[in-house]
Amino acid sequence: MSRIVLRDLTKSFGDLAVVDPISLEIEAGSFVSMIGPSGCGKTTLVRVIAGLERASGGEVLVDGAAPVDARAHKRVAMVPQQPGLLPWRTVKANSRLLLDVNRKANPPDAADPLALLHEVGLGEFLDAYPHELSGGMQQRVALVRALALHAPLLVMDEPFAALDEITRSEMRAILNRLVEGRGVTVLFVTHSIAEAVALSDRVLVSSPRPSNVVADIEIDLPRPRSADVEDEPRYVELCAQVRHALHGSMRR
Amino acid sequence: MTKRILAPIVGIVVFLAAWEGLVRAFKVRRYILRAPSSAVRYLWRFRSDFLDAAGTTAQHAAIGLLISLAVALLVGAVLASNRFLEMATQPVLVLVQVVPWIAYVASVVVWLGAGNGPVLFMVALVCLPAFVFATVDGMRSVEPASLELLASVDAGRWETLRRLRLPAAAPTLFTAARFNIGLALATTYYVEGSNADNQGLGYIGIRAASSSTGADRLWATVFAMAMLGVIALAVLSWAQRTLLHWHAAQRSQPH
Repeated sequence: MSRIVLRDLTKSFGDLAVVDPISLEIEAGSFVSMIGPSGCGKTTLVRVIAGLERASGGEVLVDGAAPVDARAHKRVAMVPQQPGLLPWRTVKANSRLLLDVNRKANPPDAADPLALLHEVGLGEFLDAYPHELSGGMQQRVALVRALALHAPLLVMDEPFAALDEITRSEMRAILNRLVEGRGVTVLFVTHSIAEAVALSDRVLVSSPRPSNVVADIEIDLPRPRSADVEDEPRYVELCAQVRHALHGSMRR
Repeated sequence: MTKRILAPIVGIVVFLAAWEGLVRAFKVRRYILRAPSSAVRYLWRFRSDFLDAAGTTAQHAAIGLLISLAVALLVGAVLASNRFLEMATQPVLVLVQVVPWIAYVASVVVWLGAGNGPVLFMVALVCLPAFVFATVDGMRSVEPASLELLASVDAGRWETLRRLRLPAAAPTLFTAARFNIGLALATTYYVEGSNADNQGLGYIGIRAASSSTGADRLWATVFAMAMLGVIALAVLSWAQRTLLHWHAAQRSQPH
């Protein structure tokens, strides 16, 4: 079954067309990246899928339902660009923020995300406050906060954009480890070719506004993936392929 | 830590010493200004009376402040979610601030009768504008990303208010409280004094002010009010450090 289905989806703000008619299916359990130039409407598309913005035309199905319903049932977990941790909550309390609201929609097996915090190496910082953490650690809390929902769809909007390169590659490894074997579907928006290829099963290359998918590249690197995957010739080849598609889209 | 306790004490001691020294050095006439030492002597002599009166005044000010805060949170939460209402209410709140309330206190006393009523009403009213402004500004200071995050799991309005907007308003509310404590004490003192049936420091003080033999009593109440103010600020600072330890303004600054 497809987790996300878009049929002739369009989105415009007044006269400004942000998303061209776009049709696309994302399979359950796959990791799909969307890469494209700044301001190409990727974030708008993500917001439509997350049910935070209504489509202007066409149809969107998340888990077979309208995005607004998926949102009401906590079927979509978001990781925003800024970690957005609440400064008055400890790491532990921040990681369960999304479980603390709209409780009636919590999954029956909802538990404190302590195990997840340990898994991402924050076991010694459970009672720390956000201002005591580095940027990478804060984003790890944001990741746990989203995964704690046990939602079938994880939507990430340039989550590592504000981090330095060393931390980013560390986050890539953590994310791969967390997602593999959990069966969760991930829609990942990024500016980074390396990130898209290292993480994804599929990379969608988006054109400048109005946004559309100009290339759909399958990433056939084996899983589970470690950080070493970035040394493989196939990885380098795929990066080149994405880069060419991206440049082609900008010249269009 | 020691600096935090020591510095205010040094400030107060220096101020009192300067006051005492000036009164003695220039031989200020007793009905114009008393030295702190003579006010303290008088306070000590009638300590049980003044302690009772100070307790009443502290209660008036504290309850008035809490009523004001409760009303401000209610009003502020509504205004923070509606720009039109906020713009419509702002001039009214400024009116409350600028109109000299001393002029209409007598009417309020007639309206609400003698006793605690007019004191609490005036304290709550005078402190309201600063609390409402602080609530609105604080609740608006929430990061859009955090709002969106809660929206992404369909959090309700009340949940967003309680989990996000209210804690975000705490820092500005404390700043307003710091300002309002002085206002509340001064208002309490004056309204107690313009009341026929009361026990507070203001009742003693304002009556003493119109009596030819009341200077000792008057200056004793002034001194007692000052001490109430210092105690109130100390309590507030402690609460602020405890509750807002996560806030940048509370962390030690690099020098």
